[in-house]
Amino acid sequence: MMALIDRLSSGFLPSFLGGMAVNFEIAAIAVAVGLALGLLLALARVGGGVLGGASASAIGLMRAAPTFVVMFFLLNAVPRDAILLGAPFALSGVMTVALSLVPYSAAYIADSGVDALRQLRGGSLPGALLFLPNVTRAFFVLVMSSSAGAAIGVSEGITIILRQAEQLPALGDRLVLFAVGIVLFGIPLQAGFAVMSFIQRRLGRIVVRRPADAA
Amino acid sequence: MNVILSRAELIRAEAKDLIAGAMRSWAAVRMTRFCGSTAACLLAVVIIGLAPSALQAQQDKSPDAALARLLQEVRAKLPGACSQPTADRLIRVLCAGRLRVGIRDYYPLFSTRSGETRQGYEVDVARAIANKLGVDVEFVRVNAATRIALLAEDRIDLAIATMGHNIQRDGQARFIRPHYYRSETTIVGPHSSGVSDWKDIPGRTVCVTVGNGSNAELVAQGARLMLFDEAGALPARLKDETCTLAAQDDSFFARSFTDPAFAERYAQKFGFAQVPWGMAVARDGSAQLARALDLISQIFHRDGVFLELGRAHRIGTAFLEQQHAVWQRPECNTETGSANDACLLPPFDAELKPTPFAGSVAAFEAWFESWTDIDLSLPMLTTAAAWSMFKGGVANSLILIVGALVATLALALLFGAAQGSRSALLRWPVRLLTVTLQSSPIVLTLVIAAAIAHALFPFSDAVALGASIAALGLANGSNAGQAISEAMTTLRAEQGAQAAGLFGRALGRSATQIVAFLVNAAKGTPIASFIGAPELLSALTDITSFSSGRATTYTLLLIFYTAVVMFVVWLCGRLRRLLERRQVLS
Repeated sequence: MMALIDRLSSGFLPSFLGGMAVNFEIAAIAVAVGLALGLLLALARVGGGVLGGASASAIGLMRAAPTFVVMFFLLNAVPRDAILLGAPFALSGVMTVALSLVPYSAAYIADSGVDALRQLRGGSLPGALLFLPNVTRAFFVLVMSSSAGAAIGVSEGITIILRQAEQLPALGDRLVLFAVGIVLFGIPLQAGFAVMSFIQRRLGRIVVRRPADAA
Repeated sequence: MNVILSRAELIRAEAKDLIAGAMRSWAAVRMTRFCGSTAACLLAVVIIGLAPSALQAQQDKSPDAALARLLQEVRAKLPGACSQPTADRLIRVLCAGRLRVGIRDYYPLFSTRSGETRQGYEVDVARAIANKLGVDVEFVRVNAATRIALLAEDRIDLAIATMGHNIQRDGQARFIRPHYYRSETTIVGPHSSGVSDWKDIPGRTVCVTVGNGSNAELVAQGARLMLFDEAGALPARLKDETCTLAAQDDSFFARSFTDPAFAERYAQKFGFAQVPWGMAVARDGSAQLARALDLISQIFHRDGVFLELGRAHRIGTAFLEQQHAVWQRPECNTETGSANDACLLPPFDAELKPTPFAGSVAAFEAWFESWTDIDLSLPMLTTAAAWSMFKGGVANSLILIVGALVATLALALLFGAAQGSRSALLRWPVRLLTVTLQSSPIVLTLVIAAAIAHALFPFSDAVALGASIAALGLANGSNAGQAISEAMTTLRAEQGAQAAGLFGRALGRSATQIVAFLVNAAKGTPIASFIGAPELLSALTDITSFSSGRATTYTLLLIFYTAVVMFVVWLCGRLRRLLERRQVLS
């Protein structure tokens, strides 16, 4: 236990928080790219026709692509000396993880976007606004999923915990450290879900009130 | 240095002759003085006459004498032989008065160049050899791809370029024996890491470079590999703790260990996959040059020249010390020592056994490339080791997917029943466990499952697979269970507390959520490779670590998993419809 206390007291928290910031950075990039791609796919899907069919297929494929495999695909299939728009293009670890989350993020946002667009077409702005808590939910799921970066050496929160754990010989100490990690990850996650529930409730009330007002 | 060595040899040879002559004179005088009869005197004269011949014969068997004879023999042909187009390279080197040595420009401690100044162990070995032959040295830059080609093209006479001697290269160049150095793959990690041999490796992540031949051994010992393109990244990744262990050639890490700060934090844990390094000359037209270099290498080991040069450049000298002792042994210190298997090291056998259908695979790859212009490489089908790992990976992936689906469904039912229970004693602990599992990233859940499993059972593939199935089942089953319990709550509210068949109807109502988490479990299975489960991603990462074709391999992997998940989606869609139909019927 002394070894664990030594570890925790010697700068663990600042490095862990630094690591968690990387988790949030990865999730933010994945949501931003996912929003751009997902909304385009949603528009195409709602538009119907050949484009709608192609969009539905693309969403299906992206939904089925395992994040972890996509990450290794990007890591190994993209040449290190690739050129993009005439400039050298090399994916950093953070960017590799973020892009590997894009298929999930884009597919989820496309699904939510299709619902939102249909609500909007049906004249329900509050119904369409449910798109926002859905994106928030996706963001927090992506924060958790970004821990896959530990497998390729990205210094995110879980990587910091695992590095510390490797230095602890006793299983008990390691399990306590893991529990600390769960609590530290759990706080923002549960807070995020609470915020999302709050937004959903508020929107729900607006949805209920609007028809009543209209009547 | 050459001059000093040559003079020393000359003095040594002259001293031997003087001693032999003195012994002869002394014995003759003693015999003439003391022999009593003519016959006895005759016998004594015969013995005295034979003694120097025997001494001479013994002297002639030394590598020094053999080298001196060879050089004398060749020099006797000069300058006439200089113009002969088929002359041996040794003749051409002596005629030109220079030895063209292919050497690397940047391999710290072994061969580096700064402007016109070269330094390193190999640089000094080249200089010592040229001096021994009595010629100048001319350095020519080579790299791993050009060193053998330049020998064949007669642009260099000798390559001393960190070249491992393996059986496959024996057909491309004539390697000088004995070897001038030997490297091994060394595992480097923090002093505190507690790794000392293979038994500590299973389940640990080791950072390696792609294409390193020793990766296959690490994989076989149960290590998880983290791949890097360049060895240069490894010391930095150790320092920033991305890697807790790194495996690379010890000659590479030698430089890092000259940094006191690095040496203070890290240590070489153990080594494996020893590869002898060989100087090489062209296979054709270099017989006499090769023979001269064999003898020089013998002499340099015996006299500690290689050892002193190694110490001067602070490279690992364990091999050189061992060879110094070997080449001092009487049975090795002879002119035939370089052909004596008891004194020599065998070349490294780096060849992997091909599959029976490797030829067809190669033909298909060639046909595909000619047809599409895409460089297709299927390393998992070309060698027996890779094929075996590939088959195992596919089978384990399917087991993992089926196991994760079953575990998710079973745990979803359990969690759902417990959370929907009216007993607070049952409900609240399960709710707490659900919130805990929801707060734990899946990677952490897997690591915890693996840590507990390895504490209970010795590390094995089955244990890693079991821990992965448990972790994936818990993470997804808890969420699906929560959805079931929420459905039960709503049904109770709608239909009253005592509604019959509540659980069955709750399953129908939460079918979409159950299916979503089943699909999620199937999608999450590749992450099991993180704790060493030998599924397909893990197998292919291992295969590509010692072969080529990464782009193709990972593209096929992505296609495989996407197809499997789409099949699971289709299957789960049927399950959902079944559950929903039951709900409608009830």
